[in-house]
Amino acid sequence: MSLDYVKFSNGFEKFMPKEYRDMVEHGPFGKKISVSQMGSFKEVLEEHPMCAGCAMTLFIRLAMIAFPNPEDTITVGTAGCGRLAISQAAIPFVYGNYGDQNGVASGLSRGLRLRFGDKPKDVVVMAGDGGTADIGFQQVLHSWFRKERFTTIMLDNEVYGNTGGQESGMTNRGAVLKMAPLGKKFEKMDMVQMAKVAGCAYVATVVPNNPRRVESVIKKAVLIAREVGSTYIQAYTSCNIEYAIPTDKVMEDAKTVENDRYAFSEYISDEAKQYLTERYGYKEFLPKPAAPAAAIPGKA
Amino acid sequence: MYLVADISVEICAAKSCKLCTQYCPEANTILYSDEMGKDKGFKYGSAYVAVDRCKGCAQCVWVCDNMAKNNAIKMIMIDQLPKAALTDNITYGEKSTTAVLASPVVG
Ligand SMILES: Cc1ncc(C[n+]2csc(CCOP(=O)(O)OP(=O)(O)O)c2C)c(N)n1
Ligand code: SF4
Repeated sequence: MSLDYVKFSNGFEKFMPKEYRDMVEHGPFGKKISVSQMGSFKEVLEEHPMCAGCAMTLFIRLAMIAFPNPEDTITVGTAGCGRLAISQAAIPFVYGNYGDQNGVASGLSRGLRLRFGDKPKDVVVMAGDGGTADIGFQQVLHSWFRKERFTTIMLDNEVYGNTGGQESGMTNRGAVLKMAPLGKKFEKMDMVQMAKVAGCAYVATVVPNNPRRVESVIKKAVLIAREVGSTYIQAYTSCNIEYAIPTDKVMEDAKTVENDRYAFSEYISDEAKQYLTERYGYKEFLPKPAAPAAAIPGKA
Repeated sequence: MYLVADISVEICAAKSCKLCTQYCPEANTILYSDEMGKDKGFKYGSAYVAVDRCKGCAQCVWVCDNMAKNNAIKMIMIDQLPKAALTDNITYGEKSTTAVLASPVVG
């Protein structure tokens, strides 16, 4: 893990496939890239078998562009659709057994700190809503209570997409799915509130129809997790198959859902604000300059 | 045969908003070329599709029609495209890419 692994071994350059050569020569490694440059550099994510038009793939694509140091990042995933793409990137990927991802990431993040000391190595978990809020719930909550320093991203498609449409804790009450034909009887779990109660230093909800915002929340979450504590992003990433959304209407759906019930929200602890400001030069948390005294009508 | 996205250089190079490059769910699929359209006298470059990576979801069509309001992208049967960009013929540069267009259907 470092820029050393994104170069050709001596003499092998001409034997490497085009995709690999493009990655080494024109990938994002060691450079500052942003979503505004998309389409002009070789992305770390390669072809993968996720469904056409899936919002989750767009989110994963944006997340990988937003990683502050892709060459020093390890992703952790688990069973579910997302790993089909996350594993097809030029970023080391660890597959935790279904639900184990936050336990695996806890050990990994601690191990990396022992091995590399202060040099930041970022661990980012990306798992489905089932993997995060149901099967992995206990390990997710414990990693947060223990303030493990890595980022957890829930790819919330509000269903078990990979296995054909069972309800998850994150499915909305009343939703009828192929394998929940009577409709879900309970409310959607409030994982955002739980993340705050468990002491996460940064918690955000986001929808992928605003690429710059996705970029901004991922960067903050990964940077804060380097030193301050656990960070959590909950992203609405619709399953167009199980919710029967025509693929050319996926962004329209994202917009509607964002307006109705998935508004952008961001919680950031005071310690994390101070850290981003002092360590990474963020300006948005600086005290606002005092507003000039309101002009008194009638006075010159 | 199957549908792939096709971007009109004439319309795109006049606006050049690049929105579709940010909304395509697939990586390395909608790319941008500063050069494309220069030969036709356009000031800006154009977005284009590496058709071998396009899964035909048409999300870019919705984004171009409804968000950018440019209506530059249409879904076309791949064998109706005489020439298109393919990953093997795309070169990355410092700030942009270039593509040599070729027939997307072999044989
Ligand atoms: C221990 C274990 N139990 C069950 C499964 C089967 N399984 C694979 S993916 C999946 C559901 C994934 O749902 P979610 O986590 O919401 O992710 P999505 O596919 O919706 O992105 C299940 C139950 C498994 N792989 N391992
Ligand atoms: S099943 Fe749903 S979540 Fe999974 S890849 Fe397909 S559209 Fe995306």
